[in-house]
Amino acid sequence: MDFYKKYLPTTIPKERLDEVFAGLEEKYTKGEDPWGLNLSKARKTLDILYPLYKNYFQVRVFGKENIEEEPYMVVSNHSGQIAIDGMLIATAFATEIEPPRILRSMVERFFTALPWVGTLAAEGGAVLGDRQNCLNLLNRGESVLVFPEGVRGVAKSTFDFYKLQRFTRGFFRMALTANTKVLPVCVVGAEEIFPWVYQAKGVARKLGLPALPISPLYFPLPSPVDIHIGKPYSIPDLSPEAPDSEIDLHIDKIRNEIRELTTQGLKMRRPFFANKT
Amino acid sequence: MKSDDVKSILIIGMAGGLAKITAQLLVKKYPNAKIIGVDSRSIKGSIKTPNIQYKKIRYTRGNFEKLFRDEDFDIVYHLGRMSHADTSPLASIEQRLDLNLMGTKRILDLSLKFCVKKVVILSTYHVYGALSDNPVFINEDQPLRASIKHPELRDVVEMDQIATNWMWKNQGEIETLVLRPSTIVGPQIRNSMTRYLIAPYAPVCADFNPMFQFVHEFDMATILVRSLAEIPTGIYNVSPDECISLKSAKMALSCPTIPLPSFILQAGLKLISTGLWSFPQYLLDYIKFACITDNSLIKAHLGPEIFRYNTKEALLLSKLD
Repeated sequence: MDFYKKYLPTTIPKERLDEVFAGLEEKYTKGEDPWGLNLSKARKTLDILYPLYKNYFQVRVFGKENIEEEPYMVVSNHSGQIAIDGMLIATAFATEIEPPRILRSMVERFFTALPWVGTLAAEGGAVLGDRQNCLNLLNRGESVLVFPEGVRGVAKSTFDFYKLQRFTRGFFRMALTANTKVLPVCVVGAEEIFPWVYQAKGVARKLGLPALPISPLYFPLPSPVDIHIGKPYSIPDLSPEAPDSEIDLHIDKIRNEIRELTTQGLKMRRPFFANKT
Repeated sequence: MKSDDVKSILIIGMAGGLAKITAQLLVKKYPNAKIIGVDSRSIKGSIKTPNIQYKKIRYTRGNFEKLFRDEDFDIVYHLGRMSHADTSPLASIEQRLDLNLMGTKRILDLSLKFCVKKVVILSTYHVYGALSDNPVFINEDQPLRASIKHPELRDVVEMDQIATNWMWKNQGEIETLVLRPSTIVGPQIRNSMTRYLIAPYAPVCADFNPMFQFVHEFDMATILVRSLAEIPTGIYNVSPDECISLKSAKMALSCPTIPLPSFILQAGLKLISTGLWSFPQYLLDYIKFACITDNSLIKAHLGPEIFRYNTKEALLLSKLD
């Protein structure tokens, strides 16, 4: 199973892995949680993913100092066609952020029904993107990862790369209900993992698929990825049932913050042949 | 409900393991009460406790009405839901519908007519359905979606709905409880799921590993007894806080498994179902997708620690004969 590590030599040091999971074992004393998180499986997955994270995608994380020891609703732009960005953000939060945490990524409904993939994701901490799930996790002091652009964000054609799509409002209402700060995050470089894509939206709709990417290349390229973490957005004194117009003011601020992080991130990204200018 | 207020108790489904334990606990709690257990099945062994009588009767209106008229019950426990296991000699769909739907309605109407003080109905968490988009945790207000994919579960859902509709309609006249427990395990419970759990080399889905909540039979019986005095009219999930994945449960039971992709398991299900043991098709979904229920409502009445056995203890005890 470890043959690929010869070609991707950077593995997570065992001491660091022990340190990360010592903290997590204190939190998840039973080793499993009701959403299907399995600590020992998560450790194995992390051990496998880390060489990809560190060497293949050469992930850099900026803005670690903005994170404190409290739960967050992590809100990110979405890119990369197959949600590799979620996996990279979760790996960063487990290995490079203090204290390490298992981000509970909110995934699409179809994802949880997928054989193997759904279970593997759940064992690593992913959960169904359902409001009740989100609220239950936030109330337990977990940090959740949401992509308010949804499928519209991840499944973009090349000419739409780095264009932030409309944000849904549900995440902010959840943050208001649980009184949890929103942490804006931006991923730069994940769009170029599949650099030449046309999304056949009409055909996908007719076939009942969430997306249908047409591309000459279906193998993920080693585009260097940067994760930029913004400053936490404090929750205003607002009812979770406030009218959309009041909610939108705050969502626009969060969206603008992520757009600003993207602009800055694009300026400082590393060269890659497929980079969109 | 005070001990002196309970003089006569009817338990329907007395041949079942849970009913027998509940009857014994009721004798301890209400020593002056007369307990009559009925079932259309024969009971294994004999009941030696003097306060408990067993009657094998068919669930017809005439039989039941005579029983209610003669005995003047204060409490009725309906623990006699018929399961979907094909090996049951009474498993024809007509009989199941008659018992689970018409029988439940008959029991409820007679309870009202003969001024029963409290009716406790044992439903199941299966009514919520095992679906890939189930939230964690499912509370009592969630829609009952079990029959969306499996029409054969219609009677289970409808029985629950008959009971709850009747409960709200008559709440001014009679106290009614509908309990939806998660998987009950124990040495006296031998339904399809417990037999599957304790069976060595039973196949499991290689591609899915759902979370489960297990309630030990003694804990369930204790809650049934406590419900008389401590839980008001309503619908309640009965489940522990603790959850365990199916594969971890099998490991805790030291039962080796044969992992197979779910599509192969589905195709092979009919082949592995024998005359002696069958695994209903719908249960395959319950070993693929989780159905984790919220227990906060029942805990609000019974307190935070309602279970004596933790999950691993409950599982290990279920292996005992």
